[in-house]
Amino acid sequence: MINIMQNTTRYLTPGLLLLAGLVFSSAQAEEISYDHAAMLAGSCFNCHGTDGRYGEDSIPSIAGNSREVLLAQLQAFKRDETPDTTVMNRIAKGYSEAELKALADYFSSIRD
Amino acid sequence: MKTFITSRRETLKLLGATGTVAALGAWSIPARSNGNAGHVVVVGGGFGGATAAKYLKRYNPSLNVTLVEPVERFYTCPFTNLYLGGLRTFESVGHDYEELKRRYGVNVIHTTAQDIDGANHTVRLGDGSTLRYDRLVLSPGVDIRWDALAGYDEAAAGKAPHAWKAGDQTRLLRRQLEAMEDGGLFVLSAPDNPYRCPPGPYERVSMVAHYFKNHKPRSKVLLLDSKDAFSKQGLFMDGWEQVYGNMIEWVSLSNDGRVVRVDADRLEVETEFGERHQASVLNVVPPQKAGWIADRAGVTDQSGWVPVKPETFESAQVRDIYVVGDATVAAPMPKSGFCANAQAKVAAMAIVSSLAERPMPPASWANTCYSLIAPDYGISVAGVYSVQDGAIAEVEGSGGISPRDVGADFRRREARHAVGWYNAICQDTWGTQPA
Repeated sequence: MINIMQNTTRYLTPGLLLLAGLVFSSAQAEEISYDHAAMLAGSCFNCHGTDGRYGEDSIPSIAGNSREVLLAQLQAFKRDETPDTTVMNRIAKGYSEAELKALADYFSSIRD
Repeated sequence: MKTFITSRRETLKLLGATGTVAALGAWSIPARSNGNAGHVVVVGGGFGGATAAKYLKRYNPSLNVTLVEPVERFYTCPFTNLYLGGLRTFESVGHDYEELKRRYGVNVIHTTAQDIDGANHTVRLGDGSTLRYDRLVLSPGVDIRWDALAGYDEAAAGKAPHAWKAGDQTRLLRRQLEAMEDGGLFVLSAPDNPYRCPPGPYERVSMVAHYFKNHKPRSKVLLLDSKDAFSKQGLFMDGWEQVYGNMIEWVSLSNDGRVVRVDADRLEVETEFGERHQASVLNVVPPQKAGWIADRAGVTDQSGWVPVKPETFESAQVRDIYVVGDATVAAPMPKSGFCANAQAKVAAMAIVSSLAERPMPPASWANTCYSLIAPDYGISVAGVYSVQDGAIAEVEGSGGISPRDVGADFRRREARHAVGWYNAICQDTWGTQPA
């Protein structure tokens, strides 16, 4: 799902790789952990409400939306492909592809 | 009560909802211990403290969380400028602690914290009792440096308000604006960095100008600044010219804008090179420091602010004390309510992780500060932050200010977003709905 390890390991020497393998063995299984995703998502709550549930006419609720749609929206914001955005393009550029996927996972998983 | 980290059923629901992750073993949601997992005391119930209390309970409901906050109704600094401009009531920026008490099970004590003993892990309260903590969160906000500007002490603030903490000072300034005759001069003295809410003085003169334009159109606004540059400067100056013509004059540090002396009785200020300005209404935004309880806890340094470990917001000086909000040294994050809330979530995660002896995930914060130039003219600055090379830094390519070359529709939408942001962050912090 989320591939941060490939980018990390590319730059490591074989000796460091062994060490990294020990250090990251659990991280490799989890990649972006739930706690990590929850913390990334926490910043979104400040405009979209707790767990993305708060919405009104100017800022939409994002809780429980489709993972695919959320991810496509975030990626479009990041690439400046959403012409009428005001701030989301500036914010989405702060997150890696893996982080955007974790955010889409997080908000799509919110249920009542 | 909705909690999202402990329930097995929700874990399964989450893993099911996200499809492939279950097969990879990813997002194995950490189990938290039941029973009393520790006592966390939170001092201060503003954006930082109220958020910390809520998210400590969300991240681990078995924690015992006590919030110490003197007032039963907290008035935010954000949007007090809109009150000053006549756009909303003072009551509309007030929030209570009912959701924290009832929904999240936070023990809220309405008293002051008088002293903190970091070595013994105790907080002495205004009612004489003592609380013992495993971890402490301090969200003390700012205090005025009453000794930093000649002539500006607490008595002077009764005549020339700072209105930089929401409350009687804010209402006093509004009354003075209402009592002022048309043709008067509003003078605002803005401090050098760092201070609470970097764009605040510039939004304030905008809102005062809005009030003047509609009710006292012959009046003027003079902004005397101890800086040569300020937050969203180009956007503010464009907007001032477009909306208010030549009503607002900004005097930079280099043009003798720095106020060095205040005569509150005469509503007069004197600048560095001896020029005197007589005001009809005088608003002095003075130099600031971390709230005084931070000194008592021993977490401030010589600057008067609180250095913290970037990954967790634990004090760099005293173990087991976490400090969030305007009191901290967290640049390039601004001293904003948004940042205080974001920092509190990171600190809450750090505390829950440390009490459970589990690793802390990498910290992440964001900020968006909206400012209103007029009711339908909003501008913003945004940023996403992470720890890079041991320090807080803006993620490259992220953030920045609203574009300059856009039309009225863009400004109108940002003005609506400003209100949406305020309602959402207050929901996230106190659980209160828009007034």
